[in-house]
Amino acid sequence: MLPEQHDILFSFLSIVFAVFGVFVFGNVVLNCRERELSGGKMWGGVFGIFAIASFMMTVHMFSLNQGEQLSFFFSIYIWLIIVLLLTWGIFFKSNNIESQSPPIIRGFFFWTTVSVLLAGYTNWLPQQRSDPPPKEAAVVGDVTMEEFAEMGRVIIFGAKQVAGQKSIGKGQCPLCHTFDPGDHMGRCPNLFGVEKRSHDRIKEDRYLNLPMKIGETEPASGIVKGMPADIPEEYRRQNGPEELIGEDYIRESLMCPTCYVVTGFGKAGDTKSPMPVIVKPPISLSRVELNAVVAYLQSKDTPGEYASVTVPLPQDDAGNTGGAVVEEDSGGDEDAPTFVTGQEDIQAMINTLGCPLCHTIPGVEGAMGELGPKLHEKINAPKRIKDPNYKGNATNTKEYVRESILKPSAYVVYNEEAGESFPDGLMPTTFGQMLSVEALDKLVDFISQTEAPAGS
Amino acid sequence: MLGKKTRNIGTFALGLVLAIAVYLIPGMTGIADAKEAFAEQVFAEEAFAKEVLAEEAVEGEGEPEIEWGQDVFYKDWEGNPLKGPVSGYPAPELGPEDYNNYEFAPSRIILWVANQQHLYFGSFVLAVPIFCMLIEFIGIRVREEDPVMSGKYDRLAKDLMKVSLTAYSWTAILGGILLFTFITLFPGFFKYMAGIFRPVMHVYALMFLAESGVLYVYYYGWDKMNDDPFLKWVHCSLSVLLNLIGTVLMYLANSWATFMQAPGGIDSEGRFLGNIWHVIHSTLWNPVGVHRILGNIVFGGGIVGAYAAYHYLTAKNEEERAHYDWVCYVAMFICIFGLIPLPFAGYWLMKEVYAFRQQMGITLMGGIMAWLFIIQAVMIGLLFFAANSYLHNGMARVKGSHRYMKYCKYMVLLLICCFTMWMTPHTIVMTPAELKAMGGAQHPIVGHFGVMSAKNTAVNLMITTTILCFLLYQRANKKITVPWATVGNCWIAAIFVGAAANIIFLGVYGYALPANQRVGLSVPQVTTTLTTLFAGTAINISMFKNSESYGDIQWGTQSKVGTYAIFLLAISFTWLMGLMGYIRSAVRLFWHVTEVVRDNSVDAYTLTIGEAGKMLTFNTLFVWTQFVVVFWVGSLTGKSPVKTPVAVPVPAQQQQ
Repeated sequence: MLPEQHDILFSFLSIVFAVFGVFVFGNVVLNCRERELSGGKMWGGVFGIFAIASFMMTVHMFSLNQGEQLSFFFSIYIWLIIVLLLTWGIFFKSNNIESQSPPIIRGFFFWTTVSVLLAGYTNWLPQQRSDPPPKEAAVVGDVTMEEFAEMGRVIIFGAKQVAGQKSIGKGQCPLCHTFDPGDHMGRCPNLFGVEKRSHDRIKEDRYLNLPMKIGETEPASGIVKGMPADIPEEYRRQNGPEELIGEDYIRESLMCPTCYVVTGFGKAGDTKSPMPVIVKPPISLSRVELNAVVAYLQSKDTPGEYASVTVPLPQDDAGNTGGAVVEEDSGGDEDAPTFVTGQEDIQAMINTLGCPLCHTIPGVEGAMGELGPKLHEKINAPKRIKDPNYKGNATNTKEYVRESILKPSAYVVYNEEAGESFPDGLMPTTFGQMLSVEALDKLVDFISQTEAPAGS
Repeated sequence: MLGKKTRNIGTFALGLVLAIAVYLIPGMTGIADAKEAFAEQVFAEEAFAKEVLAEEAVEGEGEPEIEWGQDVFYKDWEGNPLKGPVSGYPAPELGPEDYNNYEFAPSRIILWVANQQHLYFGSFVLAVPIFCMLIEFIGIRVREEDPVMSGKYDRLAKDLMKVSLTAYSWTAILGGILLFTFITLFPGFFKYMAGIFRPVMHVYALMFLAESGVLYVYYYGWDKMNDDPFLKWVHCSLSVLLNLIGTVLMYLANSWATFMQAPGGIDSEGRFLGNIWHVIHSTLWNPVGVHRILGNIVFGGGIVGAYAAYHYLTAKNEEERAHYDWVCYVAMFICIFGLIPLPFAGYWLMKEVYAFRQQMGITLMGGIMAWLFIIQAVMIGLLFFAANSYLHNGMARVKGSHRYMKYCKYMVLLLICCFTMWMTPHTIVMTPAELKAMGGAQHPIVGHFGVMSAKNTAVNLMITTTILCFLLYQRANKKITVPWATVGNCWIAAIFVGAAANIIFLGVYGYALPANQRVGLSVPQVTTTLTTLFAGTAINISMFKNSESYGDIQWGTQSKVGTYAIFLLAISFTWLMGLMGYIRSAVRLFWHVTEVVRDNSVDAYTLTIGEAGKMLTFNTLFVWTQFVVVFWVGSLTGKSPVKTPVAVPVPAQQQQ
């Protein structure tokens, strides 16, 4: 759900509570008639007010966005229902309350409480959204080997890492492989020292003969084992010697995992590898991506040292058709959709979203952008809401800030220094898709409190 | 068991055991035979295709124009990808024009709700005929020796069918909504699926027609076919037919979902290779089918149980209370019997998922879906707690149960220990400071409970405890009189103690093995648990022969805790069903059809756990709201009376 959309669960609950309010009203009226109570009109009035209030609150829920709905539901609406229940209890006092409230109501509250607690439990756990990987990683112009190897690392581990959680990139390698010395999860070989092993392995008898001999074709991948010249052209090595080298072994392992299976890690008597062919779906690495992964694997055991890397850089690669090389102005990482969960600290959130590029934000280190207005919203927001040119719906600072993030064109700030408005349409309108509800709330809370530093 | 007669226990329990075995055994033991048969079939198909090509070459103008593609899943007998004639178009590269949306909610969420609601109702209407078949059968069997009890069974079966009839129309409407949601919001994807499954979809529609016809004859012919014994058997046979058609319907619909998750019968470009059976019968088809049948039984039991529990709470007199207490018991009996083998069907499904793509299995159990499996563990724990709580509370109303009640607290203690172990995560997300303080992602002691060795041990012990609890419940009011009672008791004790020892031993032994070998230990653990189920139940039932009764079960005295335990079970299972459905579907990540049709919509991301949890709660509450409406509609026509002889009307003249 996008932040500006309704929360489907709490919208539903508010409707149900409105129906409940009407039900209680009807129940009390019927009861008053049966018991011929003297204060029947008074009770009817009280519960009528409850029914109307719950109806009004439900209507109000639909004018709020997701975050506001949650806040309103738990801060106001739920209390109305609790007070309604208490008042209903008082109405039935010393009159066998349990038999007066129908089992459907008890069942309903039991049902709702258990279900909402389960939803609460899931929200208490760590939240992580997984975005689809870009179809093909992009390379910005000429890159250094360090940057190229880093690209390989991101393909393996992803750009964002969370402490204590396995980080998995487009290549999905860490699902099964480990990379540090001594680390072993038992699914697939540890890749520490793979660069050195790659040179030795191609000379081993086991490699030469098992599970197939050099020169045989592996059916699933279509790769001819141990023949770098027969690798499909789009992935074939263009530089270096004609004979088999360590780089070829690593490439072959990625493109044809069953060509050689490390003892103890295969299926059917170590004749088949469980690993997917990395250049086919679902991974589908391109030539540049595959080379980047090889570069990372060849260099990862010697941080800062790239002498052992034999794959060419994209700009020097004769076989690179340029499919993955893009213009300077769209960076590689930026191709991956950005999403902020709210678990990050505010500085990291703001940097991830790129706000400092355009805005000066007090309290955020390095946020000195001048393309957009300075964010001194504690003072400025109330003034702008009162501005006759303001056409938005906000009634307070937080609502204004939220609106400005989600719908930047709702109010375009006038740049007094330049004597004209800041350019409309410059600020992205996609922040709704980049922020979780929690993240948006956190951001709004922070920006609502920003003000010019003392003395400025 | 279900009433007063001891013999019924045996009939019903054995019937259920057999029914489950009939579903499970062909799938689990027939794999080797199936492989052989498959190899032969593949050979025959290829030979046939070659013949056709040769004929065409002779008749036609030279070379045949058939293009051959390699199957993404099926292999020939040498392990090479199976070849088939390309008979369809490549999978489309979907773009923005292939997706539509509304402003109020993402298309994916709307589709999720439509799908889940249809599935919930589908499960219910498929489960109820299974209940009715069993209950009507028992009613016929006891007709001669206990006509009153027989009438009671018959009334119950018919009342359930009446509710199911309303739910059936509702299911069809929800199915229509689901279809329109697919067509309108995901037209590009639906076009591809319709291209592949065109004949299956038509057969599905025709089967639906057949199901409706049999259902209407079955329900509306109930009274007319009730008196004549032969017609009654014919009527009961109709329920078998109804279930057969229902199962075929479910399997056909399953094929769409299993194809999306683990496709077969197409090449890597998504082109259909001419064999519709390959497309239907992809690798997950059988395990998903078995899992769903068992799931439907548990879900149906939960709904009927909750329905009866609600009526128990609203009952106006003792007779009604006794009736609905008894219905609660029947429903819970069926529900628990379905629940016990359910995890094993789940194991089978996961095994097939791993066999299809290891990384898909790891994404589920150790990747982004891992937390959802922790939640699943919590839910299964809740289910077993609810089931045991019901049995413990239910036992209290059985005369003679005092002999066993003292063991309940130990069983609860064991359940708590296992539950704690079962829900301990392998690793959790932490701040770097927390990570440093703990010395790694895994806690040095508690971390050991996070691996599958501990979890398999825990869940198998929980199931074994539930089986034991159930056996004690069965014998609570019986004084065993068979001469071999001591031997029988010793055997039962030995089976359970031996099973527990074996399960724990295998669990501990697993720590000494590498992960890929450790996984294999789940098979003997599961076999041990199943042994306690089948052997324990068989011995227990055999010991009831000529047993004396401490007294009848006091129906209508079920405690409120026991009643709410049924509610808890129903909610938990509804929520769990949604959760597992979400996990199964979401593991495709950003693919509509794994590795073939990429999801290029704006909704292609995987939801956070919190978002998914809220949707699950919404779906649970929403479907139960609908069930309440359906039950209410069903109740408008009144309850079926237990048939009593009708007095012959006397003409007024004769009275004078």
